[in-house]
Amino acid sequence: MKIGPTLLVLASGLILFSGSRGLASPALAQEPATFQPPSDSEIPSDPFGNLVRKGERIFTQTRTYAGKYVGNDLTCESCHLDRGRKPYAAPLWGAYVSYPRFRSKNHKVSRLGERIQGCFRFSMNGTPPPLDSDIIRSLVAYSFWMSRGAPVGVKLAGARMYKMPPPHRTPDPFRGKKVYAAKCALCHGADGLGTTSGHDVAFPPVWGPRSYNMGAGLAKVSKLAGFVKMNMPLSKGSSLTDQQSWDVAAYVDSQPRPADPRKRQ
Amino acid sequence: MSLLLRRTVASLCLSVFFLTSTAYAGGSMDWGKKIAEEGNGSPGSVACMECHRLNGGGMPSIGSPRIAGQTAFYIEHEILGVQKGTRYAPVMAGVVQNLSKSDIRAVALYYAGVRTPKLPDVSPPDPALVALGKHIAQKGLWKKNVPACVLCHGPNGRGIPPHFPYIEGQNKGYLLRQLVSFAFLKRKDDPQGLMRGISRRLTQRERKAVAEYFASLNPPATSSHKK
Ligand code: HEC
Ligand code: HEC
Ligand code: HEC
Ligand code: HEC
Repeated sequence: MKIGPTLLVLASGLILFSGSRGLASPALAQEPATFQPPSDSEIPSDPFGNLVRKGERIFTQTRTYAGKYVGNDLTCESCHLDRGRKPYAAPLWGAYVSYPRFRSKNHKVSRLGERIQGCFRFSMNGTPPPLDSDIIRSLVAYSFWMSRGAPVGVKLAGARMYKMPPPHRTPDPFRGKKVYAAKCALCHGADGLGTTSGHDVAFPPVWGPRSYNMGAGLAKVSKLAGFVKMNMPLSKGSSLTDQQSWDVAAYVDSQPRPADPRKRQ
Repeated sequence: MSLLLRRTVASLCLSVFFLTSTAYAGGSMDWGKKIAEEGNGSPGSVACMECHRLNGGGMPSIGSPRIAGQTAFYIEHEILGVQKGTRYAPVMAGVVQNLSKSDIRAVALYYAGVRTPKLPDVSPPDPALVALGKHIAQKGLWKKNVPACVLCHGPNGRGIPPHFPYIEGQNKGYLLRQLVSFAFLKRKDDPQGLMRGISRRLTQRERKAVAEYFASLNPPATSSHKK
């Protein structure tokens, strides 16, 4: 990604520029540092703060706090890593400042609450909680709090999933299967169904009946490739080549998973 | 019950059959226990219990790890790693060279099946370090690309069988030594270099903190470690 001088000027003061990020891959070395959300200790101890904390609990332990709206083994954090803070994992600080937004998925201008409903329906393979419910209000409050200080109306570096440059070769599930066996099966299982620790889901399923459904964002190979490129294997983001990310995404998304609810009816 | 008598108790063998594939021979458990107690009989062989105790509680005073209830898969993987030299183990390297593959399997099976309470550690937990360690363990240090330890080691570090060992209730001297040897790339048996990467990105104080935190917990109690 090239950063124009105007954007840099715009961003100076709002976004810290960091030249040496020892951990980032060489490919990303010239990218600007991403927005830093406020830390936990800054959550106020008042009714608003309580709502924020509640939002965080729902986000990280979705089944416990919003169980009846969840239809699989995932939590919001399964894809929005670091409690919704991690850049290039569709962070909540990037979300709050970019809604209402026009979405081509349903050809309407959506509010943030409606966008969150979408993740319940597709990514969580569940039912959307009502817009005026405590659950949606807490999640929106959590997102609002996290975006404090973020500029509105510019696309922040690290917001949403990483957008992959087009693949050199058509993504191939057969090559992807090899990548999966070498880099993913350790945690998500050779059968893709995830791994448990005692009775708890430890590594989430990446396909099968307890994973995201065919209507979810990650069911699109390009979105999944961008997610994997930046975030997987866990703690080794950007270690796969672009082609490996495309191929493994094509493989994972070629596996069975629940149908798109819009087509089930 | 005398040790000799115990060896013949069939129920132990049976429960092991439950836990594992039938690839393990029936006498394997007895043999595993014998190696733990006396070594495998070859010249220079040393009994595991001298350092890990018969029930696998380890010895906090010398930083010898608790191994009771780790998965047989993991125990086997570590000993093979020690033999090959990929698993840094300055103390143990000298005592496992003469074990055959089937010896290793037998003794791994034995220790995977035993349970034992936590032994007192060398010093009480340091509250400031425990607090920092808890934060890293439960939430991670994502600014340095360090995920929460519990994502890979299970809730409170109780393990995710078969590849991810439990670290909950392990002794602090051992934990810290492992983190340091991962960080300085001496221990290199971790799949995909995951622990080397993570430990290298922590400061020494952070490594101490997570060691203090996990050592302050109780080890996983029951047989949640199947497979
Ligand atoms: C299976 C993975 C997955 C799960 C689980 C998931 N999401 Fe999402 N989410 C996505 C993807 C993919 C996007 C689209 C990102 C993009 O547009 O690049 C997204 C987008 C969002 C956005 C909008 C982000 C933006 O910048 O436009 C919000 C807010 C959101 N999700 C909240 C949630 C909440 C709350 C939950 C839990 C109820 C959840 N998500 C669960 C994958 C997931
Ligand atoms: C070291 C373990 C590990 C490895 C290896 C790993 N993942 Fe993950 N993955 C995780 C964890 C843990 C999460 C959930 C993160 C959370 O809850 O904070 C996750 C989440 C995901 C998700 C979103 C949630 C879901 O289940 O759909 C996808 C998709 C995914 N991983 C794909 C991959 C792919 C593809 C690879 C191989 C390139 C891979 N992972 C390698 C641990 C791992
Ligand atoms: C002289 C003391 C000693 C003896 C005898 C010994 N060990 Fe160890 N063992 C250690 C120490 C110390 C470590 C930690 C690595 C090191 O520093 O060498 C260790 C590490 C291990 C580990 C790795 C644990 C982990 O969590 O990764 C396993 C498994 C193990 N020993 C099994 C055995 C078995 C089985 C035997 C008997 C065949 C045995 N040990 C004999 C001292 C000993
Ligand atoms: C991305 C996954 C992952 C994360 C996150 C992770 N670990 Fe590990 N860890 C592993 C794996 C895999 C092993 C087993 C290595 C082997 O097979 O030898 C391991 C082994 C260990 C061991 C050695 C255990 C033993 O019995 O010898 C310790 C100690 C440890 N990890 C501590 C931590 C701490 C502390 C954290 C958090 C700062 C952490 N790990 C985070 C994957 C992870």
